[in-house]
Amino acid sequence: MDATVGAKPPAKLAAADSGLSERVRLQYEVEQFLYAEAALLDARRYREWLGLMADDIHYWMPIRRTVTLSDLDLEFTKSGDMAYFDDDWGLLEMRVKKLEAGSAWSEDPPSRSRHFVANVRILEVAGDEITVEVCFHLYRTRLNSEVGGWVGRRLDVLRRAGGGFRLARRHIFLDQTVIPTTNMSTLF
Amino acid sequence: MADGAQPIEALWGAAAIRALFDPTTGWLDRRVHSDGALYQLELERIFARGWNFVCHESQLPNVGDYFINYIGEDQVICVRDEAGQVNVLLNTCRHRGNALCRAERGRAKSFVCSYHGWNYALDGRLIGVPGQSTYYRGDLDKSRLGLVKAAKVESYLGFYFATMASDAPSLHDYLGDVGRTGLGMVCANGEVEVVDGIQKNIIDCNWKIAVDNLFDWYHVMYSHASAGSAGFLDLAAIVHPKDQMVMLGDYGQAIGGPGLPKEMQAKIDRMSDEERVEYARSGQSPFPRVRPRMAIELMGPEGVRSMGHPNLFPNVWITLGGMQMCLRLPRGPSHTELWWFTFVPKGAPPAFRQAIVRQATHLFGPAGLLEQDDGENWSQSTRAASGFSRSKVGAALLMGLGRDEVSVGENGQQVIEGYVGEHAQRWFYRSWTEWIAARDWAELETIRSPAPTGVV
Repeated sequence: MDATVGAKPPAKLAAADSGLSERVRLQYEVEQFLYAEAALLDARRYREWLGLMADDIHYWMPIRRTVTLSDLDLEFTKSGDMAYFDDDWGLLEMRVKKLEAGSAWSEDPPSRSRHFVANVRILEVAGDEITVEVCFHLYRTRLNSEVGGWVGRRLDVLRRAGGGFRLARRHIFLDQTVIPTTNMSTLF
Repeated sequence: MADGAQPIEALWGAAAIRALFDPTTGWLDRRVHSDGALYQLELERIFARGWNFVCHESQLPNVGDYFINYIGEDQVICVRDEAGQVNVLLNTCRHRGNALCRAERGRAKSFVCSYHGWNYALDGRLIGVPGQSTYYRGDLDKSRLGLVKAAKVESYLGFYFATMASDAPSLHDYLGDVGRTGLGMVCANGEVEVVDGIQKNIIDCNWKIAVDNLFDWYHVMYSHASAGSAGFLDLAAIVHPKDQMVMLGDYGQAIGGPGLPKEMQAKIDRMSDEERVEYARSGQSPFPRVRPRMAIELMGPEGVRSMGHPNLFPNVWITLGGMQMCLRLPRGPSHTELWWFTFVPKGAPPAFRQAIVRQATHLFGPAGLLEQDDGENWSQSTRAASGFSRSKVGAALLMGLGRDEVSVGENGQQVIEGYVGEHAQRWFYRSWTEWIAARDWAELETIRSPAPTGVV
C-alpha cells in the first residue's frame, strides 16, 4: 500500500510548460473539492456531504496493528476481513440518518471537529477518475474538556461529474492502532 | 511503603468490602467504580486469580505464531511452541523487566530482549545470554531464568484461558454450566475461527460499568434509539423486554437477555436443520437466528433458548448470537480497553461469512452504529463516581428485585424468566464483593455464594 510513497517528482518545468498549468489547475480543483467537503463535515452539514458521494462509494478504514518490520504484511487487515468502516452508500446514509435522528446521544451536545487535509498529491488520472493521496488530522473536542482525534493517510478517488467531482472511494489508513477515543461518531 | 501509607487491607477490610453492595436492597456503593485501592485488589484477587481468555486456537495455527493479551494489566505472550503447545508467558525479561515482545501479533523463532539481548525459546526457556561466559563468568543458571508462565493454561472449544493461581479450580469447573453454555453459543453453528482484525479502543470508564452494561437490556431502546431510526436494525425485534431469561452460575458467571419462550423452542426442537433455516428465512421466527440441532448439546435444553449475552467472569462478553466476543481490559480505575473478536464457523459459505463480518463491523466497535452511543454513558457514570458528593450517591440496581423466581429445567439448568430486570447485574456485583473480600482461592470457596435459587 505504500508503493505510492516514492511517486515520481514533477517533470522538468521547462519541458512541460503547458502541462504544468494543466496540472496546477487540476491540483487546484482537487484541493478545493477536498476543502469544501471537509468544511461540510465540520459544519455538520451531513446530508449535503452525502450528496458528494458517488452511488458506488467504498468508504473503508481497515484495522492497523503494531507489528515488527518482518511482519509488515500483517499491518493492515485486508478487504473482507474486519475493519472500522466498510461502508457503501447505503451505510453512509444510515450514519447520516443516525446523526439526524435527534437521539444520537453521543453527538448531542455535538462534537466540535476540524478536518485538516494536507500533503495533497495526485497519484493517477485515469479517464474521469483521479486518485489522490492526502494526509489528514481530524481533531475532535466535545463536552467541556474531551479532546481527541485521529491522524492518518487517505487514498481518495474523485470522479468527474457534471461540473465538479463525486467521491468514488475513500480508503482511510489510520496511524493509530488502539483507537484513543470513546467512539468514532464522526465521519472522516 | 512510604511513611503514613497503609496496607490495602487496613483501608479495605473484608466487612467494608462486603458492604459495598447489598444484594438484599440492590444498592451499590459507587466507589467500586473509582477507588484506586479497590482497583489494586481487583488486579490481584480477580484478574490474577481467575481464568482469563487469552486467545483462540485459530489465531496461532503455526509454530512461532504469537498474540499479545493481558491478565489484568499484566501483558502476556500467547505463543505456539515447537511441540504444538500454547504457552502463556509474562511479557517481561527476567533480567531487567523489559517487554520482550512489542508487537501485538506476529511470527517468531524466539523472543530476544531489545535491552541486552537475552533470548528465550517459544516455550519460555532462556536459551541465550550475551556475555554469559565472560561478564557472568559462566555462573549464570539459565535454567532458573525462563520466562514466568501462567500457573495454568486450559482450553474449551478452542478458547484458551490462563490463570496466575496454581490452586484455581479447573477451567471446566470455573466456567460451570453457565460459562460453558456461553462458549457453546459461539460454537452453536460449528467450530469457529477468528476473522482477522480485532477492533481496539479505549474508553475512560471503569471496566465494571462496561461489564454490567452487557446485561442491561433496559438501555437498548433508549441509548440506541438512533441506530433504530437509521434503519440498521429493528430494536424491538431484538430486545423482547417481556421474554427475558437470565442464567446465573457459580463464581459470577451469568447470561442475560432475551430468550425464546419454551413453547417456541419446543416447536423448533421438532424441526430438522433444513426446516430451521427456512423458519428463520421466512421471518416466522421471533428472532433472526435459529440454532441447528447440535446447539442443544453445547448449550443445554434451557440455555439453547438464550438470545442474550453471556459474560465469562470477569470480563469476557459474548454477543451477536455468539459471533463476537468483547474483552473489557482494565487500564486503571477509570479507563478500559475494549477488544472485539469476531468468529465465523470454519468453512462457512462466503455469503454467510460476509453477513457476519458486515454485522460485526457496523454494529459494535468504536464506529459501530450501536456502540457509538455507549461509551459516553459509561465515562460520565465513571467520572461521577469520583466526586466527593456524587460518589456518595449510590447506584440503584433495583429492577425486578424480589419479583422473580429461579426455575430448574429438566437437566438442572437454572433460569430466571420474565421482564427486563437487573438480576445479572446484582449477581455480578455480589460475586465481585466476594472475590475482592477473599484473600485466596481457599477463602473464596468458603465465603462465596452459590448461584441463587428460589426468589431473587
